[in-house]
Amino acid sequence: MIDLALDGYMSALPEIFLALSGLVFLIAGVFRGNSGTTFLCYSAAFAFVFSLILLAGVNTGEAFSDLFIMDDFARYIKVIILLGAIASVVYAASFLKDEQIFRFEYPVLMIFAVVGMMVMVSANDLLTVYLGLELSSLSLYVLAAIHRESIKSSEAGLKYFVLGAISSGFILFGCSLIYGFAGATNFDDISVLLSGDNSLNIGVIFGMVFILSGLAFKISAVPFHMWTPDVYEGAPTSVTAFFAIVPKIAAIALIIRILFEVFPSMSEQWQQVVVFISVASMAIGAFGAIAQKNIKRLMAYSSIGNMGYALIGVAAATQNGVYSVLVYVTIYMVMTVGVFGIIMCMRKRGYAAESISDLSGLSKNSPVMAYGMAILMFSLSGIPPMAGFFGKFMIFEAAVNAEMYILAVIGVLLSVVAAYYYLRVIKIMFFDEAEDRFDCDIAFSRRAMIAISVILIVAFIFYPNIVFDGAMSASLALFPK
Amino acid sequence: MSDSFLIEYLPILIFFVIAGGAAIAAVAMSYMVGQQNPDPEKNSQYECGFEAFAESRSKFDVKFYLVAILFIIFDLEIAFLFPWAIVLGDIGMFGFWSMVLFLGILTVGFVYEWKKGALDWE
Amino acid sequence: MEYIAVFAPLFAFLIAGLFGKQIGDRGAELITCSFVIAAAISSVFLFYNVILSDLENHSVMIVPVADWIVSGGFKASWTLRIDELSVVMMCVINIVSACVHVYSTGYMSHDKSRARFMAYLSLFTFAMLMLVTSDNLLQLFFGWEGVGVASYLLIGFWHHKDSANSAAIKAFVVNRIGDLGLILGIMTIFVIFGTISYDGIFSQAADKMHDSFNFFGYEIHAITLACILLFIGAMGKSAQLGLHTWLPDAMEGPTPVSALIHAATMVTAGVFLVARFSPLFEFAPEALIFVCVVGAATAFIAATIGMTQFDIKRVIAYSTMSQLGYMFFALGVSAYGAAMFHLVTHAFFKALLFLGAGSVIHAMSNEQDMRNMGGLWKKIPVTYGLMWIGGLALAGIPPLAGFYSKDIVLEAAYADYSWFGDFAFWAGIAAAFMTAFYTWRLMIMTFHGKCRAVKEVQNHIHESPRVMIYPLVILAIGAIVSGYALSSYFVGSTSYEVVEVDENGNEYIDIRNKENFWGDAIYVKEENDTIEKAHHVDMWVKILPLIMGITGIAFAYLFYMYLIRVPEIFARRFRPIYSLFYNKWFFDNIYEYIFVRNVFSFGKVFWKTGDERIINGFGPDGLAYMTNIFAKIYSKLQTGYIFHYAFVMMIGLVILVSWFFFGFSAD
Repeated sequence: MIDLALDGYMSALPEIFLALSGLVFLIAGVFRGNSGTTFLCYSAAFAFVFSLILLAGVNTGEAFSDLFIMDDFARYIKVIILLGAIASVVYAASFLKDEQIFRFEYPVLMIFAVVGMMVMVSANDLLTVYLGLELSSLSLYVLAAIHRESIKSSEAGLKYFVLGAISSGFILFGCSLIYGFAGATNFDDISVLLSGDNSLNIGVIFGMVFILSGLAFKISAVPFHMWTPDVYEGAPTSVTAFFAIVPKIAAIALIIRILFEVFPSMSEQWQQVVVFISVASMAIGAFGAIAQKNIKRLMAYSSIGNMGYALIGVAAATQNGVYSVLVYVTIYMVMTVGVFGIIMCMRKRGYAAESISDLSGLSKNSPVMAYGMAILMFSLSGIPPMAGFFGKFMIFEAAVNAEMYILAVIGVLLSVVAAYYYLRVIKIMFFDEAEDRFDCDIAFSRRAMIAISVILIVAFIFYPNIVFDGAMSASLALFPK
Repeated sequence: MSDSFLIEYLPILIFFVIAGGAAIAAVAMSYMVGQQNPDPEKNSQYECGFEAFAESRSKFDVKFYLVAILFIIFDLEIAFLFPWAIVLGDIGMFGFWSMVLFLGILTVGFVYEWKKGALDWE
Repeated sequence: MEYIAVFAPLFAFLIAGLFGKQIGDRGAELITCSFVIAAAISSVFLFYNVILSDLENHSVMIVPVADWIVSGGFKASWTLRIDELSVVMMCVINIVSACVHVYSTGYMSHDKSRARFMAYLSLFTFAMLMLVTSDNLLQLFFGWEGVGVASYLLIGFWHHKDSANSAAIKAFVVNRIGDLGLILGIMTIFVIFGTISYDGIFSQAADKMHDSFNFFGYEIHAITLACILLFIGAMGKSAQLGLHTWLPDAMEGPTPVSALIHAATMVTAGVFLVARFSPLFEFAPEALIFVCVVGAATAFIAATIGMTQFDIKRVIAYSTMSQLGYMFFALGVSAYGAAMFHLVTHAFFKALLFLGAGSVIHAMSNEQDMRNMGGLWKKIPVTYGLMWIGGLALAGIPPLAGFYSKDIVLEAAYADYSWFGDFAFWAGIAAAFMTAFYTWRLMIMTFHGKCRAVKEVQNHIHESPRVMIYPLVILAIGAIVSGYALSSYFVGSTSYEVVEVDENGNEYIDIRNKENFWGDAIYVKEENDTIEKAHHVDMWVKILPLIMGITGIAFAYLFYMYLIRVPEIFARRFRPIYSLFYNKWFFDNIYEYIFVRNVFSFGKVFWKTGDERIINGFGPDGLAYMTNIFAKIYSKLQTGYIFHYAFVMMIGLVILVSWFFFGFSAD
């Protein structure tokens, strides 16, 4: 009656392993107390690495009565998620020490969040979507508020939780609408039902819009973005880094899977929504960032804008578009790792300095860091030959190929506006009067992460095919011949 | 279509009626049959240890909530266990081990809250 | 080996450029010199490996470095193509560059930013190597622009001098015009052949020889168009007539720069480009005629200008232009080997002359006007001797290098037996006379007669330090032996006679062909093989250039040593012609009148009204203003209140839902 063959479960082996190690770490942590936090962080990094290895060996296929799907698309996104998670947890190890926030729950929550995201990415059923989404979201809410002594952190956690609950409500309501009108929760079933029915059902469309809105909250797309600056600013920097690096990738992957696997027959309809959200996000991301003085808030708007660019590729509604989004988010992940690494290095006399003006004169005080930051900023603003240029270029190319010229033009124009605030950071670092130095005892692990990120960004032009090939096979997985 | 659709919900309506009737009956019976010696303590509302109709921004002890939330978790666990117990014969070893896994995960949570001291009142 | 030869200068640049402050000027000099010398040595080894080790079977090396761009059918990779052509260029570049590096340590010893200078030199060397070792047009373009940038930086190295800055900009802008041709040429080639890799282009050249484009109703032969566009690029870089005006001005840069970039290497990039594309040019006879005529005209006109200039470096600069003209008309008559031969010998003796002139300038405390020199030969005898060698080589006196290469170039032009070949031949003969004349005019004005310098300068005259002399000696050796040593390889006859005995016992002479030195790197159609024909021209053709050279020298002695009045009388008598020559045929004035002024006033209109009022008003300034207002308004919306945020979310959802409700229920 119920297939007990282990093959099915093997598809979810990385997730199962991570979940179990999360439980083990929780027990270990609670018995050892907060003093083991650093050790647990590195253990978590190791668990991520091991999960990555498991991921390489996992076969594609469906599991858990088709609730769960493992394909090349999921594999690619999971690799990106795990790499981002490794970077985040390594950052956390040294950051928690700097800030004296010793909570062993931190790495454990991170593991559970990552498990949730991986489940999201592999979802093949609306229920799995919700399960993964809530697992990751609940972990993230707690992470945002993990620094209980800080009012800002608590505020960030509370805001994120309340608004996140509303967005979860959207998604659940959307799921129930779709179930009510289409009569199925499985992705394959829904898409078959929708493709057969030529007259579009307004109820299903409503359901789709609700789900899309809820997911737009997760990637902080306009108009569901309001939480982002406050949460980014309030949460401890390592948590912000994690927020910026990982969950967005999972959420945008989920958007892609739902739109392209469940609603391909309605692409004309959702294209309009995605275009609207994309343009609005790019615009708010560009204009909102200009007035910012706090670098974390700046990065919040930057991430809003970048998700807008990624959505251009989704709006193209072609395989080429998905491909470009995958390349884009990969490059974005690497750039964000580098930028947040440097933000964490911004400490003066033991306290975090988060104002953009604190960077002034960095080129004199610590030129290596300034040059690294300059490279990352150039890349973020899309200046060749940095990797960021290729990401943007491919996105626009996909839009042009899909004959969405106006969207591409708007994207290019807004990226010019966005370049203004990225370049302003460079201007402040190189041409403003030097301020106090930053503390120079930077953990080796953090230096290494920043260096890797900068090198990858610069060297991308020489070996782009590693990313291109992976993204190509991943995007092909969503488009059966 | 709508008639047959609504018919499906008839048992729920009946359930409501019976439940309402039972509740009314219980209150009415105790009111009629029971002996009544009212005093101020008995007449005041009972609510998790603090005044029900007071300033909503007053301070209260978070422990009440903690206990309530923990209670809900294990309450839900029981809610899962009942249907499982009924169909255990049909779902076999797979069903058994599924529930063991579920309980195991819950136990991890339980160990965590115990160790953290969430169960100590003082 | 090939990696050292190509990438050592890059690392030298990176180290000297990035860590110049840390390692100091001395360190930068040591690093760049030693790296470039290593590159020079390894390129000589490469030369040996590729060519001399096995004359019959040349081993062409294609060394992949990395994939660069793969996009659809378009593929470009970093590859080093080490064949006969590029290995010859590598030797020239690295050897001359090494000499110039070492020389610069002496010449620039009083300069404040020596590390930067050495870094630029190394950067230039690397870009030039990238250019010659490219395996596809994109990489070539990378090197092409790289040398352009390095040249810009080096010409404007003394950026406190206004004239240096404007010369740098002029060089850059004029080169851009040529680059436009090159870019269009690359695109045309991609359109015709669908690839930009050399192998792909050359293998299809014969198939596509009848292709044509339809352009506004005109049928245009496709390959001819591509070749002419490429040649326009070459004209810019190699200062051919029309796009040459930047080269004399480029002399504002330090003298070692002139020697390296504006005599030996960068300006020959155009020659290299045409030689590299010989398989294409061979199928475009009209393009070859164009190349030939432009080259011949340049050779002649530049020589006439050279006779009248007084700035020692400008004389040599015009001479360079004239010699480049020789190379181009050699290319135009399909004598690619001869052009390359002249390129190599010219690199040696012209670098020698430039560095020698630098040594003079050094001695004269930065005086460049020959009218203020004279009588220096006693005070700086070594430089004088070395300049003699360079001058003899340039004038084409045997057995120095210039004799061999100039001879074969002129013979090949004659041997083409065509109207443009004849034109080139006679223009070249006239230029040969003038070359010898102005070279000795320079020698005599500089080294003989009375010293016309002011007293303080005179007291300072001193021989250059050894670091400046040794590179000159190396170059002088090159200027002496390279012609004799290489002539049989580069332009030797490919047919040779063997006395055989047939079955009847009678001896007969069999003519056999041996493998061409250039192998597959240069392709010449059989009927166009002028080098082979050049070996069989009449005796008078072979001797005429030499006679011209000797008479040129004799006339120079006569006019400037003994009849000092005569030049002035000539100048007055033939005033129009003299002023035409002296004013460089009015090229600069014409350009100034037609283009520069109009472009400037055009620019002013666009700048003042178009840009500042309209575009800036509505564009950047207006937008920036609006942007700030937007940003401020937006920040106000971000209140921090959670219910506002939730409200915005709900409004957004309602908008999206109603959009659908009204947008699609209508359909």
